[in-house]
Amino acid sequence: MRRWAILCAVALTAAAGCGGGGPAGSGSGKLSDGKVVFGVLNDQSGVYAQLSGKNSVEAVEMAMADYKAKYGDKAVVKELAVESVDHQNKPDIANAKAAELYDRKAVDAILDVPTSSAALKVADVAKEKKKLYFNITAATTDLTGKACNKYTFHYAYDTYMLANGTGKTVTDQGAKNWYLVYPDYQFGQDMTASFEAAIKKAGGSVVAKDPAPFPNASGDFSTYLLKAPSLTPKPHVLGTMQAGAELVALVKQYNEFKLREKGVGLAVGLMFLTDIHSLTPDALAGTTYTDAWYWNYDLKSREFADRFQKETGTRPTFAHAANYSAAMQYLEAVQATGTDNADEIVKYLEGRTVEDVFLRNGKIRAEDHRVVHDAYLAQVKPSKEVAEPWDYVKVLKTIPAAEAFRAPSADCKL
Amino acid sequence: MLDIENLSASYGEAQVLRGVSMSAGKGEVVTLCGRNGAGKTTLLRCVMGLLPYTGRVSLDGNDLARKASYQRARLGVGWVPDDRGTYATLTVAESLSLRVSKDGWPLQRVYDAFPNLYARRASAATKLSGGEQQMLALARVLRMGSRLMLCDEPTEGLSPLLVEQVGAILRQAKEHGVTVLLVEQNLHFAATVADKYYLLAEGEVRPTTPDDKELLTYLGV
Amino acid sequence: MAQHIFNGLVGGSFLALVALGLAVIFGMLRVVNFAHGAIYMLGAFLALSMPSFWWALILVPLVLAAGGMVLERTLVHRLAKLDPLYNFLLTFGLTLIFQDLVKWRFGVQSTPYPTPGGLTGSVDFGAFDFPAYRVFVLAMAALICFGVWFLLSRTRVGLIVRASTERPELTQALGINVGRWVTPVFGFGCALAGLAGVLAAPMRAVHPLMGADLIIVVFAVVVIGGLGSIFGSVAAAFVIGVLQALSEAYLDSALVSQILVYLVMAVVLLWRPSGLFGREESPA
Ligand SMILES: Nc1ncnc2c1ncn2[C@@H]1O[C@H](COP(=O)(O)OP(=O)(O)OP(=O)(O)O)[C@@H](O)[C@H]1O
Ligand SMILES: [Mg+2]
Repeated sequence: MRRWAILCAVALTAAAGCGGGGPAGSGSGKLSDGKVVFGVLNDQSGVYAQLSGKNSVEAVEMAMADYKAKYGDKAVVKELAVESVDHQNKPDIANAKAAELYDRKAVDAILDVPTSSAALKVADVAKEKKKLYFNITAATTDLTGKACNKYTFHYAYDTYMLANGTGKTVTDQGAKNWYLVYPDYQFGQDMTASFEAAIKKAGGSVVAKDPAPFPNASGDFSTYLLKAPSLTPKPHVLGTMQAGAELVALVKQYNEFKLREKGVGLAVGLMFLTDIHSLTPDALAGTTYTDAWYWNYDLKSREFADRFQKETGTRPTFAHAANYSAAMQYLEAVQATGTDNADEIVKYLEGRTVEDVFLRNGKIRAEDHRVVHDAYLAQVKPSKEVAEPWDYVKVLKTIPAAEAFRAPSADCKL
Repeated sequence: MLDIENLSASYGEAQVLRGVSMSAGKGEVVTLCGRNGAGKTTLLRCVMGLLPYTGRVSLDGNDLARKASYQRARLGVGWVPDDRGTYATLTVAESLSLRVSKDGWPLQRVYDAFPNLYARRASAATKLSGGEQQMLALARVLRMGSRLMLCDEPTEGLSPLLVEQVGAILRQAKEHGVTVLLVEQNLHFAATVADKYYLLAEGEVRPTTPDDKELLTYLGV
Repeated sequence: MAQHIFNGLVGGSFLALVALGLAVIFGMLRVVNFAHGAIYMLGAFLALSMPSFWWALILVPLVLAAGGMVLERTLVHRLAKLDPLYNFLLTFGLTLIFQDLVKWRFGVQSTPYPTPGGLTGSVDFGAFDFPAYRVFVLAMAALICFGVWFLLSRTRVGLIVRASTERPELTQALGINVGRWVTPVFGFGCALAGLAGVLAAPMRAVHPLMGADLIIVVFAVVVIGGLGSIFGSVAAAFVIGVLQALSEAYLDSALVSQILVYLVMAVVLLWRPSGLFGREESPA
């Protein structure tokens, strides 16, 4: 047994040692190594695997194919590759894997990275290695606040956008008193803070807020659901900041405890198409939430969704579309500048207005690297209104890019 | 009835028994003496099938080599272990019904013979006194109707009155044709029941008698 | 307060059923089955493929009992003579295999499962009302725990299992074929975990890692109750369930409810190293 342990230790040290190899040189004005490599770093097996996961790798591959098709012989990038790594939502793993991707796999840009605490680690690595990082699925505004840096872009959404959409709208509709339940880690705490601010601004109040263990070992939220109707004043709405499988469990139990019948509505902080699919639309019918993108919004998004479905068998979430978009915009930048030098790409992207299947009225802000775009207030349809599979949502209103995101924060010094 | 031929056993590197041969006839009480650590318990465990050995152990001429210990028990080998083998999770009554045979003593007879056990029948076996536990171990084997009883120091820690009772039970068993292999340090007690004696020393066994000078010196009596 | 205690008992039900199986298996085989959480998860997923919840309640435990017995015969029984490290490697390896099989077949997404018809309403307890399904879960768990207690303490099979669990060698020497009971007991333990999985499907998220999350707490519960002590495991499960519910309801820190079970474990181990109801292992 002892021998095994030693063997493992030796193997591990060896691997770590190799990881410390010198940075891949990045000559300016040309592709450093003749090719562009994307690193998709996300949850491929856990609670967030379905909303992004392996299918985001597919989305990036679609972008690569589209780039080749678009530029053909004129393409600056002759060789394209994608590396995908499972970070299991653990910050330390994300940290180590990000360094490995940049150093050993010659990755030019890391994409995705759900789980805010992990995303912040990767931002540090990107800054240290001076390599690009497009965050898609982490929500913390710190990425464009105190933790912002020159090489990190925050793409799809953030806690401010969600709170500002959902918190404000639901309060405006008359649900003044809120009870907030959130997973007790960076994302949940950020979301709760953002929601509180948005609710107060709209004239509502937070009756109570409860942090729930994360990850929730039992998948049980019944304590909070029991508590909700007995709070004084009785909340009009329960705002949940849980995501993925935890959200699924919570909504299941919300219905089980018949809170809607007891006069406590449901607002969801962050929801993905895959969550609605898991729960069936009836479990969520009438729930409003803020969406960064919807596959059946218009013909352009639908066309992308059809292709995506051909590749993966399911409809894309906004995370999938955003991964596609980020990869595509990066390749466009390389094409335009003729280099994969990170500093020059940053210079090219900063302040640029962009329009693609995901980014509507998109703009890459130079001040904080927030990528702003139109967001949507969406409502889950009851199943009898669902005309085709996966078309679970009605877009109530478009929130213009200028209003959807917060103004650049003073905390951010690039 | 019981024949042991050239039996050797060891714990890892340490060989404890080196070619032991002995026998016990039907209805005989055979006493096995030896110093502490001589290997008496080891020998009984081999006969019971709880320890691997080389050599041959046979019951009525049938080799037991391929029999697991539960099969040996069913063939009529009963074990009264040196630690009394009491269960914490079983009551006295349950311990007495773990395995019973129609040849064995009925429950009532056990309770008549050991009123203490009757009084404590609903308690956990480990809550009994040492002497009571010893009675229980013996009674358990009587319930099974064993033809060969392997008794590992059954009188240890018993009051003279109870020692006498155990003697009576062994004599009774003997009259019914039960063979007893008795490991015993108390030669006075052994003398009241034994038909023959063996001495186990240096991993080997040889016949002896209770007045054998050599035996007495060896045991330090 | 009453409603939170009641709710804690419901949460404790799952812990109890899974811990019970774990304890029975450990007692009889001296194997810590790290795959028990995965079997709970398989129970929930198998429920998806059954014609109805009620069928699942009967069939899934049977299927998992059979599967468990095959597993015991083919793999687990080989652990008997090996270093405990192999116990960990095998059962943990099985966990990963089961999880990946389910991921491959069903994806990583939570799968919907409706509350069984007839149990969608609420039960009025005067001071509070409670979802009927949860009342049913608690009743089922209580029934099963009582049934297992009855089986173990009042039947001949139970007598043999208790004796074999406590002193396998002695019991063998007293004429009982201990080995014959090992496989059924393993199957039975798996069936209990599977049943808990079926019960969880309508009220929790059904996803491949649901068991991995649960099993860690169950281990703590089993250690608190006393490894191998069946009564201890069940009692500890309900106590932990209630403590967890109360801490979530009345404390403002998720951290406390999250580490509560480990705190209790640490305290119990310091105070009684063999657990609340555990006995020191006999040296034999
Ligand atoms: N499980 C074991 N592993 C290793 N050695 C053992 C084991 N059991 C006994 N021994 C050793 O084997 C030898 C014989 O032991 P055994 O118990 O058979 O002696 P005994 O004659 O019954 O002694 P006593 O009169 O004290 O009961 C001793 O030296 C003992 O230390
Ligand atoms: Mg001895």
